Amino acid sequence: MIRFNNVTKVYGNDTVALERVNLEINAGEFVFLVGASGSGKSTMVRLILKEMEPSAGSIYVNGTKLSSVPRRRIPRLRRDIGCVFQDFKLLPNKTAAENVAYAMEVTGQRRRTIRTKVPQILDLVGLSGKMGKYPEQLSGGEQQRVSIARAFVSQPPILVADEPTGNLDPNTSVGIMQLLHRINRIGTTVLVATHDREMVDVMRKRVVALEDGRIVRDKVRGAYADEV
Amino acid sequence: MRFNFWFFLVEALKNVRLNLLMSITAVTTTFICILVFGLGLLVSAHIQGVIGSVRQDVSVEAFMPNASSDQLDALAQKVRGWPEVAKVTEVSQEQAFAEFKDKFKDQPDLYRDLDQSVFPPSVQIQLKDPSEANDVAEKLKQEGFTEDNLSYPQQTIDRLNSVTSYVIWGLYGATLLFLIASVLLISNAIRLSIFARRKEIEVMKLVGASDSFVRTPFVFEGLLQGLVGAGLAAFAVVWINYLFVDWAHNDLPYVPISSDAVNAPFVLVVLVAVGVGIGVIGSFLSVTRFLRKI
Ligand SMILES: Nc1ncnc2c1ncn2[C@@H]1O[C@H](COP(=O)(O)OP(=O)(O)OP(=O)(O)O)[C@@H](O)[C@H]1O
Ligand SMILES: [Mg+2]
Repeated sequence: MIRFNNVTKVYGNDTVALERVNLEINAGEFVFLVGASGSGKSTMVRLILKEMEPSAGSIYVNGTKLSSVPRRRIPRLRRDIGCVFQDFKLLPNKTAAENVAYAMEVTGQRRRTIRTKVPQILDLVGLSGKMGKYPEQLSGGEQQRVSIARAFVSQPPILVADEPTGNLDPNTSVGIMQLLHRINRIGTTVLVATHDREMVDVMRKRVVALEDGRIVRDKVRGAYADEV
Repeated sequence: MRFNFWFFLVEALKNVRLNLLMSITAVTTTFICILVFGLGLLVSAHIQGVIGSVRQDVSVEAFMPNASSDQLDALAQKVRGWPEVAKVTEVSQEQAFAEFKDKFKDQPDLYRDLDQSVFPPSVQIQLKDPSEANDVAEKLKQEGFTEDNLSYPQQTIDRLNSVTSYVIWGLYGATLLFLIASVLLISNAIRLSIFARRKEIEVMKLVGASDSFVRTPFVFEGLLQGLVGAGLAAFAVVWINYLFVDWAHNDLPYVPISSDAVNAPFVLVVLVAVGVGIGVIGSFLSVTRFLRKI
């Protein structure tokens, strides 16, 4: 589903963010990407979204080689990848429901579909009572649920999350992780970049650890740190 | 993908409401530019109108300073024989002065200190067809008349053109400058509103919006601003024209200014089209330039 082939990313002239990374994530997997700050997690996520090009190596998403996707086809690529960020990235002038609807509008879906689907998905993330609220009227956890609803409303085959619980308290984080877990259970490939040691340890999923831009560990049913 | 007109229109209207100040700036700019452009159109249309009506004039005047009435008779007699001529009238010094006094009877200051000797006697020739005025003037020159002693439409037109061409070029220049300024100001206003919303646009792109999907509400916004600004300006221009023609009829009765010189619906359509064009092009260019960068 996602494959990194000898990927190197150098920012500017000398900041090596990723070095010869090889990674294969299969359809339906749930993968944690862990590592210290600056180890290159966000860089991997941004490469998957084709926000930038790798300096060397190639990346495949959903069978497509990203370097062969022209600029004008990037929107279509991104519609296959739901994305969730630490800072939620909601549109401030739209309500919760409108934010979710926007992700459907960009794909040109029918109004009727949008009108039935949006309340369903917001209900699923536990926000049926807050559809008409603007992001600034919602708590961090609620905003993150909206952004997960938006990422998932078109049921993309892949969902990537960059520190989705980074701004949330532990209890709220559990709720968010459960949501991601449920999304994974219905067949979506999920990649979560995180610092959240506790969460990773509890979930017992595949864990890929980065250190200074290199993959140092890749373990099925792993933990945040090496087990002795 | 279906083009959802109402979705984009509603998005654009929301943008206008959120960036009200910016929208007012853009609308005002368009208004001023289109107003100047429209006034330029008006002035040149009226000049064309005056030239057109002078061209329809069928009279040629030949002035004969210090001529005796026998000399006047002789010329009148000769001219009567020309095939282009419909009617010939002799005007003596006294008649010329009397006509002048009659023409300006509202402004007696003009002639209070004048002596009738300033008015040369003349022969006034009415032609059958205005297009023959130049030929007749030419024949009179062969009879010994100089340009200064003749008055015929082409001469008036040439004199009018030499004065008005400066005015017209000045107006064209000003119009061009204002059009360039308005494109710049509008695209700048839109660039500012894009800059204020760059984070949002990045998010839109992240959730899979195509360039045209992001751009269309902005282009609608530019279109609406152009439409409102230019529409108001166009009506102002037509109204000013109405006031001007009315004033000219009352205060300049001898200048042939006619409301026919300006085709009001045409002016409205042209001005609104130019305004909408500026709004659409300005917004399209500035959003496209921004989208290339992300
Ligand atoms: N736009 C950029 N320009 C230059 N250097 C960058 C840029 N983005 C990231 N870096 C550098 O690349 C390295 C990896 O950054 P990255 O954001 O991928 O780390 P991360 O693992 O996501 O860290 P964190 O956990 O703090 O989010 C860091 O050394 C960082 O300083
Ligand atoms: Mg990061």
